[in-house]
Amino acid sequence: MFKRSDESLINKALDGDERAWQQLVSRYQTMLYHYGLRLMGNPDDARDLLQDVLMVLCRNLAQFRGDSSFKTWLFGIANYRAMDMLRKRKPTQDIDDSPDLFNDDEPTAEARLYGQQTQKIVQQQLKHLPADQRLVVELRFYQQFTFDEIADQLAISSNTVKSRFYAALDKLRTQLEVAHVEQSANF
Amino acid sequence: MLNNQQIFEAWLAGKLTTAECEQQLQSDSEWYGRFLTAQQLQRHAKVPAYAPVPDIDTSQMFRQQWGGRPAKTAWWPRLSVGMSAMALIISISPLQLQLQDGALALSWKENNSLQQQQEMTTMLASFQQEQQQYLQQQLQNQQHQQATQLVLLKDYLTENEQKARSSDMIELVEYLNQQRQADWQYWQDNVQPTQARQDYGSSYLPNRTQIDPKRSN
Repeated sequence: MFKRSDESLINKALDGDERAWQQLVSRYQTMLYHYGLRLMGNPDDARDLLQDVLMVLCRNLAQFRGDSSFKTWLFGIANYRAMDMLRKRKPTQDIDDSPDLFNDDEPTAEARLYGQQTQKIVQQQLKHLPADQRLVVELRFYQQFTFDEIADQLAISSNTVKSRFYAALDKLRTQLEVAHVEQSANF
Repeated sequence: MLNNQQIFEAWLAGKLTTAECEQQLQSDSEWYGRFLTAQQLQRHAKVPAYAPVPDIDTSQMFRQQWGGRPAKTAWWPRLSVGMSAMALIISISPLQLQLQDGALALSWKENNSLQQQQEMTTMLASFQQEQQQYLQQQLQNQQHQQATQLVLLKDYLTENEQKARSSDMIELVEYLNQQRQADWQYWQDNVQPTQARQDYGSSYLPNRTQIDPKRSN
């Protein structure tokens, strides 16, 4: 099936074609929602983030110049809105109560191989990272951006991105070791 | 020479395999730990998430922002559809588009059914003629083949008859020889001794011719 490029859909949407806009939204909204769930930690905030990002996108569609890929540009908006929301969030809000991203009823072969328990531990430990480190991990591993692209999106240097990234890895490593020891003790 | 950070980043960028990276970072516990954690995260990122996406009225969003503008549409899809429709009408209608002597002529085909019937009759006649020619050719071929086969059969029979006749002659000659051999043997065994005795007896007689008539009686 012929797939239109993001640029073509944007141009058509700017000409008033609503179908092109819907196509563009459906192409990225799942990705954005799951990004929000991992970053914000609960579905309500993820929904708010998605709505906010789509609204900003709709308003600023004409600002896209094509200097970077549309995905990089879109996640630039999403990162800014997510960090803004995380800053405004009440510090007492408990992120451990957030639901799982992964449905236990639909295990894939890969999920079975890796072990659902380990997935849950990783998912839980990601939530304990500081927001700026969690964001870098999200963008590097889950959205597959390079360090330079992340630096562009966050308007910081590539070295700062790396420094946050390695700090996140070190922290996660310690957290995962503790979590595994606790899990073994419970058995 | 790459340092451990460069090795790790090369692996992250897909320029090094996991086995190569693991081998090179094993000696450094800090980087090896980061490598293992990164591997766990990579596996976690590959597992698909099933959380359903909530419904957001993006149409309303779009209409509020861009609703006032009439949708611009390109001219070429309309032209393409128009040309296709025209081609379809020309192909199913009696209209005929002909290029003759460098001029393009659009004409109306009349008596279409009569012309078709005539064309059909001509085609049928041509087909009938072709079939007849084919049958004639087949008949000739068959006759020729039959004649050839008859000649071959005649030759075969003649040859066989000659062989049989020759064999019969040989058998007859052998039979005659055997008869002659038997006669000669009989003569040797019976007639010759008798004759010898007669010849011996007659040698004591004065005139053989005087005795013979009596003997014969």
